[in-house]
Amino acid sequence: MSELINKVKELFDKEAIDLFIGYEEGSRRPRPFFAKNATDATKLVFDDRCQGNLAVYLTRKDLVRGKRVGISASYYALKSISQLFNENQLNKDLLTIIGIGSDGNLSVFEGQEQIKAYLKETPPPAKPEDDELVSKINAMSPAERWEFWTDELSKCFKCYACRAACPMCYCTKCIVEVNRPQWIQPWASTLGNMEWQINRVMHMAGRCSDCGSCGTACPLGIPIHLLTHKMKESVLANFGGDDERGNVLSTFKPEDQESFIL
Amino acid sequence: MSKIGVFICHCGENISATVDCKKVAQEAANIEGVEFATDYKYMCSDPGQTMIKEAIKEKGLTGVVIGACSPRMHEPTFRKACAEAGLNPYMCEMSNLREHCSWVHDKSDTTTEKAIDLVKMLVAKTKLDKPLNAIKVPITKKALVIGGGIAGIQASLDIANAGKQVILIEREPSIGGHMSQLSETFPTLDCSQCILTPRMVEVAQHPNITLYNYAELESLDGSIGNFKATIRLKAKSVDPKTCTGCGICWSKCPKKKIPSEFNAGLGMRTAIYTPFPQAVPNKPVIDKANCNYYLNGKCKVCEKVCPTGAIAFDKPDELITEDIGAIVLATGFDVLKPDFFPEYGYGKYPDVITGLQFERLASASGPTLGEIRRPSDGKIPQKVVFIACAGSRDPAKGIPYCSKICCMYTAKHAMLYQHKVHEGESYVFYMDIRAGGKNYEEFVRRAIEDDGANYIRGRVARVYEKDGKLIVRGVDTLMGAKPVEIEADMVVLASAGVSNCGAEELAQKMHVSYDPYKFFAEAHPKLKPVETNTAGIYLCGACQAPKDIPDTVSTASGAAAKVIGLFSNDELTREPIIAVVNRIPSHDVSTCVGCFMCETACPYQAIEHEEIKNRQGEVIKTVARVNPGLCQGCGTCVSFCRSKSIDIQGFSNEQMYAEVMAVLAD
Repeated sequence: MSELINKVKELFDKEAIDLFIGYEEGSRRPRPFFAKNATDATKLVFDDRCQGNLAVYLTRKDLVRGKRVGISASYYALKSISQLFNENQLNKDLLTIIGIGSDGNLSVFEGQEQIKAYLKETPPPAKPEDDELVSKINAMSPAERWEFWTDELSKCFKCYACRAACPMCYCTKCIVEVNRPQWIQPWASTLGNMEWQINRVMHMAGRCSDCGSCGTACPLGIPIHLLTHKMKESVLANFGGDDERGNVLSTFKPEDQESFIL
Repeated sequence: MSKIGVFICHCGENISATVDCKKVAQEAANIEGVEFATDYKYMCSDPGQTMIKEAIKEKGLTGVVIGACSPRMHEPTFRKACAEAGLNPYMCEMSNLREHCSWVHDKSDTTTEKAIDLVKMLVAKTKLDKPLNAIKVPITKKALVIGGGIAGIQASLDIANAGKQVILIEREPSIGGHMSQLSETFPTLDCSQCILTPRMVEVAQHPNITLYNYAELESLDGSIGNFKATIRLKAKSVDPKTCTGCGICWSKCPKKKIPSEFNAGLGMRTAIYTPFPQAVPNKPVIDKANCNYYLNGKCKVCEKVCPTGAIAFDKPDELITEDIGAIVLATGFDVLKPDFFPEYGYGKYPDVITGLQFERLASASGPTLGEIRRPSDGKIPQKVVFIACAGSRDPAKGIPYCSKICCMYTAKHAMLYQHKVHEGESYVFYMDIRAGGKNYEEFVRRAIEDDGANYIRGRVARVYEKDGKLIVRGVDTLMGAKPVEIEADMVVLASAGVSNCGAEELAQKMHVSYDPYKFFAEAHPKLKPVETNTAGIYLCGACQAPKDIPDTVSTASGAAAKVIGLFSNDELTREPIIAVVNRIPSHDVSTCVGCFMCETACPYQAIEHEEIKNRQGEVIKTVARVNPGLCQGCGTCVSFCRSKSIDIQGFSNEQMYAEVMAVLAD
């Protein structure tokens, strides 16, 4: 911990950053924290209790515009940052990325190539609870699966916390706010909620880091992160790794599978 | 408030035979927003168009829906009529009641109901139409002609003589193509080179033609009027500027036993060579695959003997990029390798040769200086068998088409042989004689009646060697399928014309469609024979299908006329059916977030980056912008845009949605 604090203090002292995105202690568990100076930096924490993907704040223009920003990034945040680079959303010169491994070791990344190299040799952190639920859902018949998701999504009241928690949901106008035409019903109803989730997941295809923040953010505990997780598996199986191309869906390789085209 | 006029066409009986047109018009009149609806026998006729124009003026229509044929046929007609009545032409839409309804269904109430639905959909769309203006794109008035055979030569000269710039690329060291290899040409028996070489020289000397020999198309971007062509200038190992073409290098080259492509393998050439004496340009190249220096690093004899120091070893290929307005494909054909039919013994017996090899034997510039001599022992053959349709019209062998030129050149070969070997006997095995063409039938009759060629209608089963003779076993179907056996000294196979090697790769590079035999496909077999489906790319000659010289030259001039027509305008008018990134007034905001997924998705490289700046000139945001000259309106970008910030004019998401909803509504 002190290592992170010292590093960030040093960055502020050198006037290398104007803002640092990290976590501080909250009432129940650590919460996102925006340190503006070296004194703030002493409040920083980073451990297993930290939830969410901090990369989500890197595209909040009101927060970061024109500022030199530092961030403490977990494995998944690094993955999201790499994808945000692919999508022209980040300025390398204004960003200081401090990666924190599962062993707690710090490493400073200069740009996307270094992040990609790190991600290539680092396995994603284990998620035993998710794996258990995925295998349970995989074992279901289509009818059971439909029932499971209908049941789960009937609880949704479209607060869009899943969208707010996602680093990839940075559009200034989301498809749910487009009303000419009205693609998605604005009110909450089971099928309409499904419409929204199906759209969200399609928009994540080849982009999602699988961090699970959407599921964590859901106030009703609907495991919607499993939908993006499944999408990620499908993309991997059909089109190979997303890391090399960035835009899996809008790029073409001759060896891409086309078996699903009727 | 929309005031839509609906006009239902009977198309004679094409629509009214299965659709109740009157009822469609009556139902259409009840659709919300429809001001006027009627039906008529021929909407495209002058009275039909007048009816539309008058309704626009009298009823003050804001949009028009024509229920008639495919928009591909008459949309321009109706849009023009609307424009003449003062309506923006893009406020006129066509509902395809013929191809999409009357032609594909039987007469019934449901067919009429479907027609009503189709009209409802288009009314819903038309209500959301916005006035659009045609796009003007500047045209680069420079043509690229690919292939320097007679087709490419003719097309280049025609375009150049119209005062337009031409770049002609040829992958071989010289232009001339197959025609330069021919001896005499049917039906007049004039010497091929005598009529071709003046054209070749004209190409080389023409101020409007830039000739790149030993060059190939590397890649092609852009679209009609504004292509970007990257051309690979293959390293010649000889500097053409310094070389005088004196010929000392090839006379001294120690590598002399390379089968000459120009002589169809019957003669030999050196590793540094020009293909034939009248080559244009008449500067040699080094064939790297056969040169001693490139193979073992030693030799360089040519460098030592060159009086001007023109030899330049180890130079890399050069890539150049040219701005091009239109392209003519003239890449020609190839001859089927006769090892395709082992039963005729080609490759096994040296005296079984192809028609192209016979051309070289009969040619004054050929390996025997025009005397008909057998490749095996140089003797003059006393009995020659010509086999027509060697591969062509043989579905079992995968070539069901007729190669078209073989009947005529086989008659010519028999004739040339009889002219040169007076006491010789010639036999022609044929399936049918196809001599359609001016003076063609007369020519074949001359070969049979005046020159005594023996024509046998039947196919040859087998050719084999016995006691120094080639035994040709066939059948004469006009004599009751009597078996025929001829002891020949030489056999000539009229092997099928096939697509040129590399044709498929080139077609894919240029997005030009091709047929199952890899011949390039024309846009319409009758009405657009020299256009491809890709606008701005034309084709001519035998790259389309086997063709004789008159047809090749005609299509070349046809393709050139298309290019000249295109270049006669300063600007190209294009349909405004293109993608647009939304910009909310006062034009400084867009919902585009600049992820540029559209950029990777776009097959036409039409997406650009545009910076939105504030009043201080600082960049607030970088968003996508569609280059209207490059966009083809395919809509791929639209489907990738998560925030729906990009849309196709005239086919907006809102319009498509409204169309679907119009059908689902009841």
